[in-house]
This record gives sequence, structure tokens and C-alpha cells, in this order.
Amino acid sequence: MALVYRDPFEQLQRELDRMIGAAFGDVRGVTTGVYPPVNVFDGGDAYVVKAELPGVDASQIELEVQEDTLTLRGERVFSEPRSDAAFHRRERKEGQFRRVLHLPGQVAGSDIKADLRDGVLTVRLPKAEEARPRKVAIQAG
Amino acid sequence: MTPNEMETKPKQKVERREESTRPGVYFLPPVDIFETKDELVLLADMPGVPSDGLDVNLEGDELTVSASVRPEDYEGLKPLHVEYGVGGYYRRFKLGEAVDRERIQAQLKNGSLLLRLPKCERARVRRITVQAA
Repeated sequence: MALVYRDPFEQLQRELDRMIGAAFGDVRGVTTGVYPPVNVFDGGDAYVVKAELPGVDASQIELEVQEDTLTLRGERVFSEPRSDAAFHRRERKEGQFRRVLHLPGQVAGSDIKADLRDGVLTVRLPKAEEARPRKVAIQAG
Repeated sequence: MTPNEMETKPKQKVERREESTRPGVYFLPPVDIFETKDELVLLADMPGVPSDGLDVNLEGDELTVSASVRPEDYEGLKPLHVEYGVGGYYRRFKLGEAVDRERIQAQLKNGSLLLRLPKCERARVRRITVQAA
């Protein structure tokens, strides 16, 4: 029997790539230019928004939800380096950000949860009753 | 847009140089590297990496940083709108200074790595007195 290693990311990555490709025509061209980059997922009974915010503290992020709009704002500030340092590379950016997202459907006003873990912000917004998936019973004829 | 407002740069995919036993997508983390009189400091943005997912390796003057994220964070989620890819991180550096490997410190906080690489103490210049014959 052949042993096949399955990459746990394979399917997710394929799906992400497909969507990125569909939206931008090229995998490398993935960005709207606005900080931070976000991915929006359908989590069944909730919409899940993830944003990459490395090096940002939870206290520096402000979240606001109004109807189907999510607003994300804050600031990324570095404490390093000291002034006597000489830079070899400087690719990371600091500054302020503000991002307004229109969610794909109506959300319920309560029970919205947000957590920041390892530099990724995850916001879980329960769908409004009318946006939830419904099981439809099929009647036998 | 105010002058201080941030922009997003697309994540760059990277090919790992050595054969890897764990296939998957890797991205090049953006870094800051600076030097003071006593140390080299490297900061790298690697969102999604837990502290046990980080691997820092120094071989000779070659520093390798690789990291993986948790696939389980995405279980049961169907992408609707995508702006960034999800995967590990990988980057290699050649260090210009000799580093004291015993005193290297790595700290991962909020998906940002802070790596302190203290320079080796320079060999003291020995004064040699030449005696007249």
C-alpha cells in the first residue's frame, strides 16, 4: 500500500487560490491595498472574518458593527529599535489603519465574538435568522 | 488617505531550498534587521504562528527561520472573500557578523518574531613587547 501524505492545507489553499485567482487573475496580485488584509468565511450559522495584524496589541484595535458593516481601526506601533541602530532591512510598516467591510449578509446584533491570537484577529458574527441555512423537509409523494 | 495610513503588500510565496518532508505553501515573512554595537536584531511578521510552530536554526553564518500555522483554525470554514493566502513562513539569511549562538534569544508575540543575536566578543588585541637583542 502506498503511503500518501496529505497536506492539511491542500484543500483550503486550493480554494483560496481559486478565489484569489478569480478575483485578481493572479495569485501574487492578491490585495486591495488597504490594511489589514482580510479573509471572510462562511461558518454555517455565522460569518467569520479574519485579519492579519501581526505585532498589534488587542488594546490597539477598535471594532464596530453596524447592521451589515464591520469597521476595524487601530494603530501598529513598534517599540524597537533604539535610535543608535543601523538598519540592514526595513520591510515592516507601522502606522494607522481603518478598514470598512460589508458583510455578505445580515448579522444578528448580539453575540458577536472577537479574539486576537498570534497576530490574527478573528471576528465571529452570527447570521441573522433570515440568513441562516435552513433544512427543508422533503415530503414523500 | 493620510500620510501615516498603512498599505497592504501581497504575501510572497517562497520555494524552500531543501527538500521538505512537509509539503505545503510557504510565504516570505517581511523583516526588519538592524544592528547595534552589541547585537543584530531581526523582527519578522508571521501572523498565525503559535510559539510551538517556530523553528530558528543557525548553521555557520546561515540563519533559517521557518514556521507553521494551525490548519484547525480553518475547519468548517468556507471562503467567501479572500485577500491573503494561509500557510507557513520560510526565510534564510546570511549573517555578516559572528554571533554568539549560546545567547540567541527568540520571542514570538502577537505573530511577530523578535530575534536577538548578540555579537561575539572580539578577540582582545594582545600587546607583544619586542625585546631588544
